[in-house]
Amino acid sequence: MTVTPETAFGAGLLPGLWVAAVLLLAVASVAACIPRLSAISPQLSTAGSGLALLLGVALLMTGTTLSASGGHVLGFVSFAIRYDGLSGAFLLAFGASAAAASLSVVGARPRSAAEGAAYPLFLASILLVLGASNAFSFLLAWESMALLSAFLVVGLRPTRAVVSAGNVYLALTHVATAAILVGFAVLAGSTGGALDFATWHAVAPGLAPATRNIVLVLVFVGFATKAGAMPFHIWLPRAHPVAPSHVSAVMSGVMIKTGIYGLIRIVIDVVGGAPDWLGLLILGVGAVSAVLGVLYAMMQHDLKRLLAFHSIENIGIILIGLGSSLLLAAHGATELAALALAAAIFHSINHAIFKTLLFLGAGAVVHATGLRDLNRLGGLGRKMPATMLTFAVGAAAISGLPPLNGFASEWLTFQGLFGMAGSGALEPVARFVAVAAIGALALTAALAVACFVKATGVAFLGLPRSAAAAAAHEAARPALAAMGLLAAACIAVGVAAGPVASTLTGVARSALHTAAIRETLPSVTATPRSGDGATYAAFAVGLLLALIAAGLAFAMRSRTPARRVDTWTCGIAPQPAFQYSATSYSKPIRLFFRRILMPEREIRVEYHPGTSFPSSIRYRSHVTMLLEERVLRPAHGLSLRGADFARKLQGGAIQIYIAYSVIAVLLLLLWARWS
Amino acid sequence: MELNAVATTIFLVVLQIATFLAFAPFLTATIRRTKARLQSRRGPGLLQPYRDLAKWWAKLPLESNASGPVSRYAPAFVLAAVLAAALLVPFAANRAPLAGWGDLLVVVGLFAAARFALALAALDAGGAFGGMGSSRDVAISALAEPGLVLALAGAAVAANSSDLGAISAFGVWRGVGLLGPAHLLAAAAFAIVLVAETGHHPVDNPDTHLELTMIHEGMLIEASGRSLAMLVFASELKLVVLAAVFSAVFFPFGSATEIAAGPIAFGLLVGFGKLLVVGQVLALLDGSVAKLRLLRLPDLLGLASLLALTGLAVRVLLP
Repeated sequence: MTVTPETAFGAGLLPGLWVAAVLLLAVASVAACIPRLSAISPQLSTAGSGLALLLGVALLMTGTTLSASGGHVLGFVSFAIRYDGLSGAFLLAFGASAAAASLSVVGARPRSAAEGAAYPLFLASILLVLGASNAFSFLLAWESMALLSAFLVVGLRPTRAVVSAGNVYLALTHVATAAILVGFAVLAGSTGGALDFATWHAVAPGLAPATRNIVLVLVFVGFATKAGAMPFHIWLPRAHPVAPSHVSAVMSGVMIKTGIYGLIRIVIDVVGGAPDWLGLLILGVGAVSAVLGVLYAMMQHDLKRLLAFHSIENIGIILIGLGSSLLLAAHGATELAALALAAAIFHSINHAIFKTLLFLGAGAVVHATGLRDLNRLGGLGRKMPATMLTFAVGAAAISGLPPLNGFASEWLTFQGLFGMAGSGALEPVARFVAVAAIGALALTAALAVACFVKATGVAFLGLPRSAAAAAAHEAARPALAAMGLLAAACIAVGVAAGPVASTLTGVARSALHTAAIRETLPSVTATPRSGDGATYAAFAVGLLLALIAAGLAFAMRSRTPARRVDTWTCGIAPQPAFQYSATSYSKPIRLFFRRILMPEREIRVEYHPGTSFPSSIRYRSHVTMLLEERVLRPAHGLSLRGADFARKLQGGAIQIYIAYSVIAVLLLLLWARWS
Repeated sequence: MELNAVATTIFLVVLQIATFLAFAPFLTATIRRTKARLQSRRGPGLLQPYRDLAKWWAKLPLESNASGPVSRYAPAFVLAAVLAAALLVPFAANRAPLAGWGDLLVVVGLFAAARFALALAALDAGGAFGGMGSSRDVAISALAEPGLVLALAGAAVAANSSDLGAISAFGVWRGVGLLGPAHLLAAAAFAIVLVAETGHHPVDNPDTHLELTMIHEGMLIEASGRSLAMLVFASELKLVVLAAVFSAVFFPFGSATEIAAGPIAFGLLVGFGKLLVVGQVLALLDGSVAKLRLLRLPDLLGLASLLALTGLAVRVLLP
């Protein structure tokens, strides 16, 4: 194995960090299998992921790369890794999410030893995906990641529902792998059998447009499926609720982000950009995923399913940034393209932080009550104040509220779109698409506020709606520490958005293979800067807000303590059932967007015989998943009918097969005769 | 030079805070008065909102048995977010007091933060009316937000910057030429959103206390004492800030282009004049238009988004 660090600084530190991270994760996996050591496995995973986080930060701060290769397989392919700034940015997301998720299960027993052992390996496979620099290593790590995550979702003793969710996930993740595999094969075929990304990048400009387009579409389908973008999303809301919470946290926080990483790595870095129709397609997929993702999230009352739909929404926001970057780059607006790409990478990191936080919060709720159904929760804040506080910070961050991190990356995404709408380099139609995306993004942001007020308020505030909710208890210390750190990260990254954004813009420039041009662009800064371009002084605004709020809170203290009274419910004693539930909270939005959601409800009332007093009332409501039920299901039916037809060809009688062979030979002869 | 810039900023911040704080309850008072006149009543005096605030500030607060820290601290955060937004909007001059701190998206974001805190606090007491107001408010805002951002985006595309000061300065520089079709469509869209976001007819009735029809008031139902004072004041201030954004972006004429006593004083006067006009239009709406059914609101707010979208289409599709 040869390690070739590119600077003196990286010589010792970076390879050391990488080797230590991989070793710790491997040891964590082994430890989980040994009963006497299994208790320290989460600590080892935490340490390994923490080192990956450090590696990511070091790569970003020093601008160096870490590469290594070795271990020839079958005498010709080798494992090869190369971690650069882009890998570093995603390593940062990976490390933050995985370290916190691993920390949260310290002291908890895994469902089985096998799952305990698979979890660190799953983390290691993501670590390798983010640095693999040839097709062989990439696909090996990618497929390990897919299989290990599928195992973690299903577990050893699955119920029927879990098996069904797992099957959908397994099928779709293999569609993704297959598409990427074929895309890579086409690339390898047209570059004389080369497998490493560097060679592909060198040869890419000479590719025939048709070949390049086939590769791009295949790679897009593969990575978008992994990312959970619509219409390839159906595995996501099925798999997440059934997986253990720390696994959902890493899957949602990081694993789906490997799809984004793959898109940036292959489409932008390796192939060197795409024609503008692909940019438009990605922008469109992003906008649809964002709006429908958040709308469906709003309709959920299963807390983890709700969070899963929000992952689709956030992938949509990231894809809006990515798509606008591709479009801008295709038209030569490279600085704006770098800004939009930086927004996409920034939002990937931010989403890893707050989505992990929210899934861990959901895990704490499930652990404390055994319930995922918001309509049976309520009033948890009194029993779990620390969980509520951190969950609220995560909720505000994912809703894109200043001064938290989600706002900073959405701000940059908006600026990319504003620039696109105003750019003279683009045709009017592309500019109008940017305008439509601005509207979609604004709608998404406002709906996210609505949804997270609902999730936080219905679960943690008000009165408990069930005995289990009333008997809740605070999360264990390690889980609280993990959530606390992530909440602090939401605030810290939010107010430090200036330096983070400028570092990521550098990463985006090198992915786009462009140099910085002196242009006045909108920027996130730490301190106010006036003069050229719009600015968002993240630290200053955060400080201002905190100071005013603290001052007002101080002024508000009244000398006499408040008198305690019952909540006003028109003079009746308050009851939990009077409160708005998750379902009733979303009713205005369900009705406002009824043309898209197509809600159905069924109320069945049974009466005591001979009276008009109801003995039971049953309420069932359902919203139509537009893409799933109107596009994917018909397509599924069509493919089944195709299979039926194919079965008719397969009569089973040997004579028919002989006849087929004869006909085939005849046709071939005829073809040979005339061509 | 540097010191001068800091002094200018401090002067503008103090001026804006002082005038906005003093003016916000007055604007509400003028709206109530006109509305009362339209209903053939005399209505309360112009000082009534100030007296209300003073009364609530001194009162013994009542807190629900069910509520906790969220409803205790939310009012301070709501008012803080609106105050911070107020400092990012140009009013007397062509620059925001805190120029370079944040653009129009930061203002929109701060309002969203205020809405988040208020809507969350409304669920704290576990009553039906808080939830009712909260769920309606976030739903209406979700409908209004695309119109709001698109209307402002149109002006930002024209001025080639999303900084409110730059947009305002661009408007003054263009003069009457600014008032093209794209601009007017966006202004109309913003006006509709302004009505929705400040809770006036035909979206919400600011004076209703009939439980089932309340939206904004529903969220305040459990607030009392200083909490209530802060939340009411925050909503009065929000009207001033949104109207100031409206005038800075769409009708910036009259605001000072240089920081000197004369132009600033003139800019202030013109600015307050414009705010009073906005207030009178709202009062006319309250007095003459019936409230729309909740289910009909998507039509109105969808119209706002459509107007703003059309405005932008005119801007980017036509040469």
